[in-house]
Formats: sequence, C-alpha cells, structure tokens
Amino acid sequence: MTEPYAVPVPRGYRVGVWEVREPIATGAFGSVYTGRRTADGTGGDSDGTGGDDRERPRTAALKFLPTGTGTPRQLSHLRELIEREVGLLRRLRRPRLIRMYETLVVDDPARPELDGATVLVLEKAEHSLSAQLRTAPRPSAGPALLAQICEGLAQLHHAGWVHGDLKPANVLLMKDGSARLTDFNMAAELEGTHAYTPAFSTPDYTPPELLWSEIGERGRRIRPSADVWAFGVLAHLVLTDSFPLPGGTPTARRDAAAAYARGTDELRLSPELPDAWREIVRDCLTRTHGDRIGTDALLRRVESAAGTGRSPRLPRSLLPRRRRTAVAVGSAVATVAVAALGYGVSDWAGTGGTGPRDPAAVYGAAELRTDQGVPVRYRRLIVDSAHACLQREVTPALIAAMLKTESNFDPDLSDPSVPGGGEYGIARWTPKVLRWWIRADGVPASATPSPPLSPAVSIPAMARYLCYIDPRLKTSLTGDRRVLLAASYRTSYEKVNDTGGVPPKYRDYAARVAHYLKEYTPPGRT
Amino acid sequence: MYSIIVVPPRTPEDRQDRGQIRLAPGERLRFGRASGNELVIPHDGVSRRAGELSAQGAFWILSNLSARQTYVVENPEGAGEHIKVGPGRLDAPIPFEFSRIVLPAAGDLLTIEVWAPRHDYLRGEGGPDGETTAPAFSVDRTKRYFAVLAALCEPRLRGDPHAPLPTVDQVVDRLRAAWPAASRTSVQWNIDYLAVKLRLKPGPETADTGPRLNGKKESLVSLALRFDLVREDDLVVLSPSGSASRAAR
Repeated sequence: MTEPYAVPVPRGYRVGVWEVREPIATGAFGSVYTGRRTADGTGGDSDGTGGDDRERPRTAALKFLPTGTGTPRQLSHLRELIEREVGLLRRLRRPRLIRMYETLVVDDPARPELDGATVLVLEKAEHSLSAQLRTAPRPSAGPALLAQICEGLAQLHHAGWVHGDLKPANVLLMKDGSARLTDFNMAAELEGTHAYTPAFSTPDYTPPELLWSEIGERGRRIRPSADVWAFGVLAHLVLTDSFPLPGGTPTARRDAAAAYARGTDELRLSPELPDAWREIVRDCLTRTHGDRIGTDALLRRVESAAGTGRSPRLPRSLLPRRRRTAVAVGSAVATVAVAALGYGVSDWAGTGGTGPRDPAAVYGAAELRTDQGVPVRYRRLIVDSAHACLQREVTPALIAAMLKTESNFDPDLSDPSVPGGGEYGIARWTPKVLRWWIRADGVPASATPSPPLSPAVSIPAMARYLCYIDPRLKTSLTGDRRVLLAASYRTSYEKVNDTGGVPPKYRDYAARVAHYLKEYTPPGRT
Repeated sequence: MYSIIVVPPRTPEDRQDRGQIRLAPGERLRFGRASGNELVIPHDGVSRRAGELSAQGAFWILSNLSARQTYVVENPEGAGEHIKVGPGRLDAPIPFEFSRIVLPAAGDLLTIEVWAPRHDYLRGEGGPDGETTAPAFSVDRTKRYFAVLAALCEPRLRGDPHAPLPTVDQVVDRLRAAWPAASRTSVQWNIDYLAVKLRLKPGPETADTGPRLNGKKESLVSLALRFDLVREDDLVVLSPSGSASRAAR
C-alpha cells in the first residue's frame, strides 16, 4: 500500500492549540493539513500574549515537516530546507508572502513517525494557483494575479532574498482571490549579487544557466534573475495554458531551453499572448541572466499591462537592515521559534517580550546566545561564516569564542611585533597565512594581503581555515574537538596531532576559548 | 550545459591524455579519417566519413556513415549488453549511460567512449512529473560509481562524522566482494567520473600550489551526504547480496 501523504497525521490529532482536520496537499518535503484552533487556544493563556492570540485565526494551514524520523544523517538535507523556510518566514512579513503564525515541534514518542516533526502554522489559503489552473485554465483574473505574484517577488527581492522555486504550486490564492507566495524551502538570502540554494529545482521553471550548473559544497549559486525567468514561464502558462518552450514533456522542454540558450533556437511564444505581455515574457526569458529585466522594472510593466495601477512604492523601511518597524508585530514570536526545534511541543507565543527587536540582534539566536555580549554587528558574519562550513564542529559559538579570545572583538587590533609578519584584525590573522584562506573559492590570493584586515575578510577566512583543519585532526584525540580546533588555529593541526591534544604552551588560550564557548552556546546545545 | 562527453580512441601518437569532447543537446560530432571531421581518427581502416554522433537531451544518437562496417556499441558495465548499428543506419538511439563504440578497422578494434552523465533516475517516491521539485542530481544506484560513492561515504554514514575517508586501496578492498574485478585504476576512474557527474566545481588544487582546500574525495563525500545521495540503507550495494540484486535488475 502506498501512503498518499508524506507525513500521515490522523484527523483530530492535537498539536499546540491546533486540532488537525482534513489534508490539503503534500509536497516533496512535507504534508499540509487544515488546522482548527481549539477552545483553550482562545482564552486562558491570553495574559501577555493578547496581541498574538488576536492574530491567531480560527483556522490555519499546518505544514508537517518530517524532521524527527530516521537518523540525523538521513534527513540532514530536509532539516536544512526547513531552516531556510522558517528563517525566511520569521524574518519577513510582507503582504504578498504567506504568513507564519508560529512553529511547533511534535513531542509524541508513541508515534515515531510524527515524533520530532516540525509544524509550521501558516495562513490558510483557498487553493493553489496550480489547482486553479487545472480546473479553470486561462483565468480571467490572470493578469491581476500575475501583478500580485510579481509584487510578491519584488517584496522578496527587496528584502534581499531569492525564492528559487517559483511555480503555480507555490502560489496560493486566498478567499478574497488575492495571491500569496509560499514554499520557501529553496529561498536564499542574497550575499552580494547571488545566493546559494540547495540543489533542487523544478525543471520547467529553471533558467537555462542553472540546468546542470556546477554545484559547490554550499549548493548552487542563484541570482534574483532566476525568479524572473520562472515568472516569465508562469505568466505564459497562466495567460495561454501552455509553456513558452516547446515539447510534450519536462525533459523535452528542458532541452528546448538549453538549445534556446545556446542560440541554436529562437523563442516562439504562443500567438495567444497579448502584445504587452509578449514583450514582458520575452524580457523575462532572455538567454542570459544578465539581459533579464530587473524586478522593479518588471513590476511596473506587469502592473501597467494588467491595468492594476502602480502598487505603492515600497517604503524605505522595507529595505534590508531598515525593516525594524515592518517586522515588529509578531516577529518576537517567530524569532525564538527556531530555538524550539528539538525541545518538544512548545508554544512560544508570548515568550519573546513585547517591544520591537532588531533582527540583526537575534540573528542565529538558536546557536549563538544574544545576551553574552557578542557584538550585534558581527553576528551575521559569524553565523553565516560558520554555516558556510559543513563540519559540525565549526559553529557560530566557536567562532565568536575565538574572536573574543583572539582580539576581544577588536577589529583594529594591530600587533606588528609578533614574529612572522605580525598579527592584525579581529581574528589576529598573520597576513601571509591569511593569503591562503582569504578567497571564498579556495584559491589562494595572488598577493599577501596587507593590514588593516577587516572583519568581513577575517571572519569568513577563519571559518574556512577551521573547516580545513577539522578533517585533518586525528579522531583519536580526546577533549572537546572545538577547543582542539581553536588550538590548531593558534598553532597548527600537525602540532596538535603530534602532541595528542592542546600543546602546553597554548593551554591558557584553549581554556579561554572553552570558557567563552560555554558562555556563547545556548542552553540545550552542546 | 553539455550532456554528453566523448573520449576519443587512443592512438599511438598521443600516449597520455586523450582529452574529452563535450556536447550540448543538439550538437553533433562527425568522426572519420578525413580532416573535415570534428574528430579525426587517423587510421587507414576507418572510413573517411565514418559516422556522426549527436547529443539529444540526456542521451545520444549514432549514425553509421560507412559503406560496409557494422559498429557495435557496448555497455561496459552491462554484462554483455550491446547494440549493433549497421552500415547506413542513421540516428540510432543509444540508451546506455556508459558506452563504448567499437569500430572495426583493418584488423584493429578502435574504441570511442561516450558518457551520458545526465541520465535521469527516479528518486524515492516522486514521479517523473515536471511539477515536482526535484534534486539536481540523478544517480543510478545499480552502477559501479554508486558503489564507489557508497564505499567512500560508509565510515561517515556508520556514525562517525569525522571518520577519515577510506583510501582508494581501502575502497578496492571494500568493493571486492561485490565487484571482484575492482582495481585501483577502475575505482579512481569512477571517482573522476563522479566529479564530472555531480558537477563538482573544479577544485582549488587545479590552481597554484599551497595547501589543498578540499580533495576530490572529500568534496564528493560532503556533497553526497549533504544532499542525501547515499543513505544508510544504500550501503547494501557494498555487500555481495546487494550485487546479486543489482544483477537481477
């Protein structure tokens, strides 16, 4: 017998204040059910959580993600995908993105298939755009819907994220007919001009430059222009009920996209496409990402083609690093929610304090304490640098503890007297050593960098070097591996291997790292 | 964006690297003795215009342009699977991921290897539906490269995330039960092929000297574990009984 749902949850099952009702959909990574808020979720505990309770609707969509079953190795990629979605939803609240009310973790050892599953409580939609297109292709509201979808993309890109998997199944239609973007498992925050997403995609909506693209250990590089390509495909589909590239199967269309990108084939759009839209779709589906229309210009043109009028300009406060007010309400609930992963069913509503909080101040709070004096301006660098390394020991807390020990977070540290060329910056790099680790692609820099060495250079390089050391430390060594890593950073992994532990000369240093490591690590994590 | 790799036949002149030719879907490669071919095979027993192969999406097709020679396309991993492409046959589709075109040439047998690393394979319970979000990697669990990858990942899958990776010799020993002919060369070949198939970024070891950031094996294993290409239950391919079930498929 096959199971229709990736995560079967019995009707009537209780999780937090929610009671599971009928199934809605199942995707590649989890299953969604209708949830009804139970009576005890409305009164009683309203003390101090009033705002949140009023926000919690009577019905919601409960997305069950199977994080708890199997061995940690088996589902490592799932956990990463879920962290992406939760990470985005807890930081972004935009009118055209689906809203998350809270996250819960199932604690039910009696049901091993459910135990440990993460549950996202999301705004409930009527159905998805793909369901609508199946029953009623070429909806008359198509242009207006496209304008709203494009608005969602613009909101996402403005906030510094790429969706990475835009398609009709990931567009939800609400009761009032308005559209919301959802499914942010592939979403990634931009680092400069591009982001890294897991190596998953939906062939029909993947731009040609990402077909069979090279994949590094951080996943594949993706730019906002990938969402623009997907929007072009989606617009063609909504307006004409056909894909822009010819072929009866996704594979044939993928090959057509490849041939088009190589210049051996022209783009032949459906004659049904109205002229204004033809130009828009053409500008989305350019052969190279560099020629694709930018999201803002796209939105203006889509709105004028749809006749929906200009959406209000995005206020400055929505731009990255200035979104304080935009996320104030409810963000306190969500920011601590990730900390709940792994601690049993917890209802975190109301535990996050009341006032607005700066998202930067709680960045990576699940792995790096927020109340121990790690400077807020380095949190993102520390957390992202640690995450860029796959080795489990290279954690944000370790990097923070090492920076504290090396320089007391002093970005201007300068110690030219140290033999070998001096030590500089927040991570006390010796410039001629830093040369090997300064570049993200692993290629040594052509010249030795000269001080000052900025934190933006020093911290990621520190993580890269630790990441290199980790697999080279003998597994037979005893003691906290993270402290051994720190000692290897100070001296070398060969010395630590030869000594069989921290060399006597570096015991003080190691003890200080161990001390701060403990201080910076959130309770419950090791 | 290539989907097919052609490895030209070894000739007496070039002793070492035979080079590889990469073809994108729709691209053609003519081969033969005459200089007008993209792949010139300087052997008197080969026709001037011997044939043409062309990438079609993830697979490829072969045209035999010779007047009287039959070409055989073998699947080197396929226990004798082969296809005969007679003289004058145009656009014969070749279904193998690995192929060896055998050209009879005046008493010699010349071989052109063709790899099709983009073949798609069903993964888990998802169907071949274009709407499904699919992993970017597609591996065939019955192939030898998968056994090699499983052997590389085994120590870390068995619980120790820091276990040192097995050496090539250890991999050979580990695979011998299921694959008696395994050798250092064939395992190393499969490792190189995996790097192509999984589209690993060219490692930093190709540039400059200095400490190598990541060996090829290390990158393969972290990629495979990160994206769950190999799971604990896949380790069955390492046992002799696993190979029996492979043969049955």
